[in-house]
Amino acid sequence: MSSSNDTNSGLIEVKYNDQIVRMFTLATIFWATIAFLVGIIIALQMAIPQLNVTGWLTFGRLRPLHTNAAIFAFAGNAIFAGIYHSTQRLLKTRLFSDGLSKLHFWGWQFIIVLAVITLPLGISQGKEYAELEWPIDLAIVLIWVVFAINFFGTLVRRNEKHLYVAIWFYIATIVTVALLYIVNAISIPISPFKSYIVYAGIQDALIQWWYGHNAVAFFLTTPFLGLMYYYMPKAANRPIYSYRLSVVHFWSLIFLYIWAGPHHLLSTALPGWLQTLATVFSVMLWAPSWGGAVNGILTLRGSWNLLRTDPIIKFFVAAITFYAMATFEGPLLSIKAVNSLGHYTDWIVGHVHLGTLGWNGFLIFGIVYFIVPKLWSTELYSKKMANIHFWIGILGILFYYVSMLSAGITQSLMWRAVDANGHLVYPDFVETVIRIIPLFLFRALGGALFLAGYVLLLYNVYKTIKQAPKELVEETVQIKLSHSAPVHPERGHRKLEGMAVAFTVLALIAILVGSIIEIVPTLSINKYVKTENKVEPFTPLELAGRDIYIKEGCYTCHSQMIRTIPSDELRYGPASTIEESMYDRPFQWGSKRTGPDLARLGKKYPDLWHYMHMEDPRAVIKESIMPAYPWLITSKIDFDGLEKRVSLFNKLGVPYSEEALHDANNLAKAQAKKIADVLKKQGVKGDMSDKNITALIAYLQALGQKGGE
Amino acid sequence: MKQLALSQFNDIYLIAIGFFLFFSVFIGAILWVYRKGSKKHYDYLSQLPLREENRT
Repeated sequence: MSSSNDTNSGLIEVKYNDQIVRMFTLATIFWATIAFLVGIIIALQMAIPQLNVTGWLTFGRLRPLHTNAAIFAFAGNAIFAGIYHSTQRLLKTRLFSDGLSKLHFWGWQFIIVLAVITLPLGISQGKEYAELEWPIDLAIVLIWVVFAINFFGTLVRRNEKHLYVAIWFYIATIVTVALLYIVNAISIPISPFKSYIVYAGIQDALIQWWYGHNAVAFFLTTPFLGLMYYYMPKAANRPIYSYRLSVVHFWSLIFLYIWAGPHHLLSTALPGWLQTLATVFSVMLWAPSWGGAVNGILTLRGSWNLLRTDPIIKFFVAAITFYAMATFEGPLLSIKAVNSLGHYTDWIVGHVHLGTLGWNGFLIFGIVYFIVPKLWSTELYSKKMANIHFWIGILGILFYYVSMLSAGITQSLMWRAVDANGHLVYPDFVETVIRIIPLFLFRALGGALFLAGYVLLLYNVYKTIKQAPKELVEETVQIKLSHSAPVHPERGHRKLEGMAVAFTVLALIAILVGSIIEIVPTLSINKYVKTENKVEPFTPLELAGRDIYIKEGCYTCHSQMIRTIPSDELRYGPASTIEESMYDRPFQWGSKRTGPDLARLGKKYPDLWHYMHMEDPRAVIKESIMPAYPWLITSKIDFDGLEKRVSLFNKLGVPYSEEALHDANNLAKAQAKKIADVLKKQGVKGDMSDKNITALIAYLQALGQKGGE
Repeated sequence: MKQLALSQFNDIYLIAIGFFLFFSVFIGAILWVYRKGSKKHYDYLSQLPLREENRT
């Protein structure tokens, strides 16, 4: 390809593929704008429910768009830009294939566009950070494989024998993300736009959070640590503080992280040993996380003055500091007592934003300010503007975090407040919401500040690129072949490849150990839970209602899991059991209670209450911040698709009667008619017997009514 | 049957195995990085990002 050999002098010429890095950098910048904007919209929707103007703009559909855009579009493109830029330089070779690089880029952007279209339409698998439907899942896996081939191909063709620690982090990322994504997404399609996950209830919960937490670990942490280990020394022009520490950091981190997932399910129906295991490993994670953070920051030893003068160093040091803060808070929140206070509240939202805005965001901004001038062979347009961006950004994150922390703790304390007679002080959930609405506004202000700072980056990058020379040449360097490496004598080409393979296998083993010990015992749990507590499956109509519940993203604000803590049981009833959700595909335990838990909602209110509440929540509860769902009253139930669903669930082991199997359609119509008749009698105008609202009411009234307690 | 199964989930040995595995990885990594002659090697590695090649 572009490298030519000059064997006599031991010099070869390598031309780096910088075009692909430029493309991924610009994509990062573009999608960041979208992710931040949607974030501000949904932040405002939480304080001003009237902003949920129409179906595809409601909170429940935009929230998945926000999280997916932030993780896969913003952070994703940044990872690819950084990995492609640094890997070529660390391995002293051009990327394996220009064609695969392009396919990777356009494939990924295509996937993001599909996500931007399907998520607001409510096409969703209902699993957090894994909402995308099965055809998009397939595309993601395909493009990830393209990325892997391109990366490992580059590794094979490298001109530097030794693998720098950043490369290790990239390898662990590629291997683990593939495993997590595929295992978590295994589902059975019934149409191009709808599929059901194969795992049910507790299994789905465990696998979802094994995936969910490790998406944080291996999509938002390990690649970024790799980037830190490359760009921090680069920007400071000094080697990493301790290379030894980075090796220990790597192995302990990837080995530990994979175990921590179930800390998202503390005090739930999950078996106790898994909860304990998750807590223990989460607390242990504190050590490698801080080891890595200290290693990054101490790289500046002896040149702390850069912290005053260089905005890039400022962004990096702040990013690593936020990483240290978030990884201190994480283990803290994994301790059962603290978790019972923080879980389901805005504290967790604050916690994740400390990570995404502070750690991922600031590290990305630093990298952008660092590589854009290099990629476009010019200087940064304005250092001063980058400095202002830094301070506005910091202010934004502080506003965001402090308001969410206080909102979370305030609300949680109100949830558990009990008077002298053992009664709840705030029995109405909405009372605890009213109190924190001002904090929601502060949070939106924090987000707006963060975006305002980001606009400065946009302008700065635009001006920088504008002043770049018209003809961009790809950086070409002369590489001395690595027999000049001082340490080990050459032991042949084979050894060189073998190391990378052996390394990849070791890393895979490290992540498989925790995964297998935690997940395998739970996969057989279904054998044991059936006998004593009989659970009725949802009727065909209730299934249709459940699909609406998932489509509208109700799980983004409502949990279906009464925890084993007194305040939960006092407010919502006896703790949820494994059996109650054993047929739920996907599980809907939820991760946030912006509204109350719904595990035992059934029969609590009359059908008419639900009808009015869906049509206009504020007509029923004056201060409610729930979006209105008037379109459910006019849109029609898909009766014809029900038989397919029932028979699929039956094949997956849900005990449906012969009647339900063969006559799902009529069974659903009969149940819908009953509900519609009652509604009519109570004064609802029009025939509701074929409307989606009726299916949803049927589902909501069935919650907690199927046995298994 | 269920009780039997659930009691296994509280298996202290399983948790002990997890601990043992982790600490062997951790101790192993520390011993590995302090192996003889590693200093020179790591010095070389840590310079990798900083080595600027000659542009043509």
